[in-house]
Amino acid sequence: MSTSSPSRRRIVAFALLLAGCVAVAVVALVAGAKSGGSKAKATAGAANVLPAAKAKGEPMVVYTVDDGHRRGSGQVAIAPLATPNEHRTLTSLACDRVYFSAAGAGICLARRGGFAAGYEAKMFGPDLKVRHTLPLDGIPSRTRVSPDGRYAATTLFVTGDSYADAGSFSTRTTIIDLKTGRTVANLEDFVVLRGQRRITAIDVNFWGVTFARDSDRFFATVATGGKTYLIEGSVRAREAHVIQENVECPSLSPDGTRIAFKKRTDSNDTPWHLTVLDLATMRETPLTEQRSVDDQVEWLDDKNVLYGVDGAIWTARADGTGEPTRFIDHASSPAVVRY
Amino acid sequence: MYQVSDSTALLRAHKRLLSRAPSSPRVARTVVLLGLTSLITDISAEMVATVLPLYLVYIGGFTPLAYGVIDGLYQGATSLVGLASGFIGDRFRRHKDVAATGYGLSAVSKLLLAVGGTAVSGVGAIVLLDRIGKGIRTAPRDTMISLSTPKESLGTAFGVHRALDTTGAVIGPILAFAMLAIAPLAFHSLFIVSFCIALVGVGILVLLVQPQRVKGAAAAEERPAPSLRGAFGLMRIPRYRSLVIAGAALSLATASDAFIFLTLQKKLDLGVSMFPLLFVGSSAIYMVLAVPVGRLADRIGRGRVLIGGYALLLGVYATLLLPSGGWALLFVALGLLGAYYAATDGVLMALGSAIVPDEVRGSGLALLGTATSIARLVASLLFGALWTVWGIHAAVAWFGVALVAAIALAAFLLRRTHEHQLA
Repeated sequence: MSTSSPSRRRIVAFALLLAGCVAVAVVALVAGAKSGGSKAKATAGAANVLPAAKAKGEPMVVYTVDDGHRRGSGQVAIAPLATPNEHRTLTSLACDRVYFSAAGAGICLARRGGFAAGYEAKMFGPDLKVRHTLPLDGIPSRTRVSPDGRYAATTLFVTGDSYADAGSFSTRTTIIDLKTGRTVANLEDFVVLRGQRRITAIDVNFWGVTFARDSDRFFATVATGGKTYLIEGSVRAREAHVIQENVECPSLSPDGTRIAFKKRTDSNDTPWHLTVLDLATMRETPLTEQRSVDDQVEWLDDKNVLYGVDGAIWTARADGTGEPTRFIDHASSPAVVRY
Repeated sequence: MYQVSDSTALLRAHKRLLSRAPSSPRVARTVVLLGLTSLITDISAEMVATVLPLYLVYIGGFTPLAYGVIDGLYQGATSLVGLASGFIGDRFRRHKDVAATGYGLSAVSKLLLAVGGTAVSGVGAIVLLDRIGKGIRTAPRDTMISLSTPKESLGTAFGVHRALDTTGAVIGPILAFAMLAIAPLAFHSLFIVSFCIALVGVGILVLLVQPQRVKGAAAAEERPAPSLRGAFGLMRIPRYRSLVIAGAALSLATASDAFIFLTLQKKLDLGVSMFPLLFVGSSAIYMVLAVPVGRLADRIGRGRVLIGGYALLLGVYATLLLPSGGWALLFVALGLLGAYYAATDGVLMALGSAIVPDEVRGSGLALLGTATSIARLVASLLFGALWTVWGIHAAVAWFGVALVAAIALAAFLLRRTHEHQLA
């Protein structure tokens, strides 16, 4: 067997390459570790803002501050719905997604600190004190609290939970009991009917829960076979049925008559168009927002919706007229607190 | 070079004296260096593969549905690229250059991810580039392993390579998670680190690997370069044809490990964060067993070990069908799965290498690899369809029945191979 060893020159070249690569990698790693944004301080008395607003009956909006430099966790702010840009209060919470119900329960999906990478759900009260935390198996996408403050629903992106390939990913939507801080249901365990047939495909994904006033009835998106559907279901009965096709991230209006959602378009450049579905007539009304919005809409009131796009919260009329206007600068994840 | 090779020989003799098992077959330096190239490249690749879904969500606009479809398409396309690279390596006798092109493309794709924009379509194209690189390098690399190894220790050589390769696949995700823990959401830093690691892998191949040839291989140099027709003529070799058919049949009855993990997850109600751990667990077993099982294959017959490996897969299916769960079941299933990989992946290539003549080795191994990977892709689609229509248990049971049939067929085909070998 003839063998030949690499020449000295080649070994030196390799050593240089190795040293160069290690140096660049270390610099990149240090730069990456440093890029973690610094957080502004919480406004004094932030814990009293929501209780005081409740006492006055002043509706508020809770949202995350979007500093534009990085996505991910942003500081949670509270502002009066009437003057959201002028009177904002910064809190000590930092969340990717936040929601708060006037019933006095909120949820914040945040990155977990320390070495253990991952996310957790922090459940907080009107005083912003965290009551429970729950580790999350994935990246936060959506969250909602039922109007009575009993349940929260979260949607996470999870990896490796698909049959096509270990590298592909899917969503996981669970319902959390806010009193105990425990997960009580996973939508994948629900009986979901499409017409008379039960959906049993393993490619099903659920996302974007919105609760009705009684906190038992809910709407959500189910995806299977490359299509999305709006489902209406019952948490107690652990069942749901399909009521419409091509509906993502539904949001029920405060009066319970309409669903605002993002509708998938044929275009790859603007994949979604905000639309409102009338539940009585099943008629769809496209909103005047022309940009593609990837958010679960929040209702400002029964006539207007709020949503995050381009690093700000915008508002548009729910009847498909008028022009969208900027509502809060540098903000996302709005939650209207109807005091 | 005389001096250098002489000192190497001395060093080897010295090592042999020190070695506790002097009779154990050793593998060529090329095989170890190629193993290290794969180890380092796999660290880099698995780092990116681990965070890519998160990254796509992070940059937004990518629906979960689209990703699965694209990935399936890529897998089909890249296995065809492998056929071409195997043939080109043969035709120009430049296996190393072809392999280096493949490794290089994958390294470049990481750099593009790091410096490139955040457009989702761009990321799709970059991932495709990476997969093409993977498709290109596999056949010429396996060819280099086989051409630098005497026939009687092919199983061991592939075992050593696969053990190193899998080590990289285990380290990669762990490194990625550790990095994201230190520098959360710093995806671009991670891509740069991945690129640096990939570059070291390419460096090992280009600068340190100098293909050696075993005795007798030199004669191949004098023969005319193989034509496309010559490469296709491979299928006229009965033993090779039998092996390709047996390999494809066995692959058709193979449920992908993603399915097996998903079934285990549902059965034992594991958290999603356990998913990477299942992969790491079975890979660790594969890593440990690859060399001893490769040696066993050299000793008792590669066909026997290959078939034994699929019998282990049958054992995995059986654990999935057992009514009760529990952690013991999980460990048994992962252990069997890791052993199955150790007994089949490298051993199949060792079997092919022993049959295919030197001058068309690249084409032969590429065709064998492509046939089995396409069969596995078809099997995945079938499994998904069975699962959807009849449920998880029926899918596993049907695959079990098919695997018994495939094992019987393979045993028959490979027994004939054995007779030929004796004749």
